[in-house]
Amino acid sequence: MPSEFEKKAQDTFSAERKEDVFVLILAAIAVVLVKLGVIGPSFVKSLFF
Amino acid sequence: MAGGGIGIEYSFRALPRMLPGLILCMVFGWAALQWDATTHGWSVDYKEAERLLSIAGKEGGAFAPFADYTAKSKESFALKEAEYKTKIDEHKAALGALQAGQAKPKEPKKPAKPHLLKESEYNDLAQSKEMPGKFSFGNKIIQFQLTYVAMLLLVGMLIRNTVGVAEVFKAGTIAARPIIKPGIIILGGYYLWSDLLKVGAIGLGLVVTFVLGTQILISYWGRRSKVDEGLAGVMAAGVGVCGVSAAVAVAPVVNAKPRDFFYAIGTILLFGTLALFTFPYIGQALNMSQPVFGAWAGTAILNTAQLVAAASWYGHEALLTANVINIVRVGFIPLIVLWTIYFYVVQPAIAAGGEAQKVNVWQVVREKFPIFILGFFIIVTMNEYGMFVQSERDILGKELLKLFFAIGFAGVGLNIAFDDLKKAGGTAFVIGVVAATLKAVLSAVAVMAIGAEVFAIK
Repeated sequence: MPSEFEKKAQDTFSAERKEDVFVLILAAIAVVLVKLGVIGPSFVKSLFF
Repeated sequence: MAGGGIGIEYSFRALPRMLPGLILCMVFGWAALQWDATTHGWSVDYKEAERLLSIAGKEGGAFAPFADYTAKSKESFALKEAEYKTKIDEHKAALGALQAGQAKPKEPKKPAKPHLLKESEYNDLAQSKEMPGKFSFGNKIIQFQLTYVAMLLLVGMLIRNTVGVAEVFKAGTIAARPIIKPGIIILGGYYLWSDLLKVGAIGLGLVVTFVLGTQILISYWGRRSKVDEGLAGVMAAGVGVCGVSAAVAVAPVVNAKPRDFFYAIGTILLFGTLALFTFPYIGQALNMSQPVFGAWAGTAILNTAQLVAAASWYGHEALLTANVINIVRVGFIPLIVLWTIYFYVVQPAIAAGGEAQKVNVWQVVREKFPIFILGFFIIVTMNEYGMFVQSERDILGKELLKLFFAIGFAGVGLNIAFDDLKKAGGTAFVIGVVAATLKAVLSAVAVMAIGAEVFAIK
């Protein structure tokens, strides 16, 4: 029977793995969009007044 | 905190629960970036207005007509552009003639476009001959470094501790914090492996000395002061390396009780929050250069989100250095867990004449290694092979990075709750704070002695 913290630690690291995969995907999408020119030098500026 | 996703798991099932808070953080982040863009614009206007007022002062208070002002600036910029084109041709020729083993010649810097006041503002200035209030305000805001980072953290903390964050937003604001990490990954476009290895090697020395040193100090001090092993164990891991994640990772090893865990987390959060708000000003007071501050923040601040925020607050160069030290630091989580297993499980077993428990080192490393840093290494490698041009590097490492950071910092600010900080207490709190302060002071002395040249990312 795992202790409360063993369970908490397992859950945390499983959640952090998923989180890491999610941020890797997000970063990959950003790089691909920049390389394809979809996000250009004026993209971010266009979001603000 | 390597990630900070404690309490929320990224999955499609959890999306409806996270969405309101994520949207709140996006809106809050956008507002702060808008504030940044506006005040920065005023601050640049201030410098131009100051220059114009000084010229006018020398010329008896007369301002040239607006058309002459723009024509003169365009002329001067065209001259600088022509000089740059000649220099870049010379640079290309020198690169072509480069022989193996020779150092690469430095690329000339592209001249920045001159900043011109708008016609209405120029005419107002010419008429009043006084600095407009909004320009002075923008300049003061930049002087006091009240950038988007400060706004998100200060206003976020204020909201959380006054009106509060409605329950419907809570899951999303927690889930927003790790959105800092894609920013850390794409910042890799600014590094070459040579920079990374140079700063990383020094960073490794700093991490081993100060981060592992703190963990070992707290472990032994805690044992001597007869602090409960569970509490000392989580405190040592949390204060030593990586905040909440490291504390959770070692909690089962040391059989920490929930009370121990919350005492340790309270101490870690309290020190991290104090560091986040004071380090940029201490750095300025000590006249630390950006790379030196980055190295200090990377070593002394306890978690990723807080150190990235403090370094961004200080400047882009500080962030570049802090990022490398942080990558080295979070890579140490498996080692922290291994030390804890040795100190609290293996060593007492041997001392008691029992058999040493076998530890599967590979399993610990595989389970605890923060894999997001692999993404950072891939981007660095892509940059090494010339896969990014300068404009792509700037879009990734300056503009998109700000979007990611703004959402993440919104989550950080909205989750700084004074109630959590109040959970710190007892002897272990004293040990934790003294050790963390000692680490901050000694690492400041060390990085200032080592100097900016070593930590600079070129």
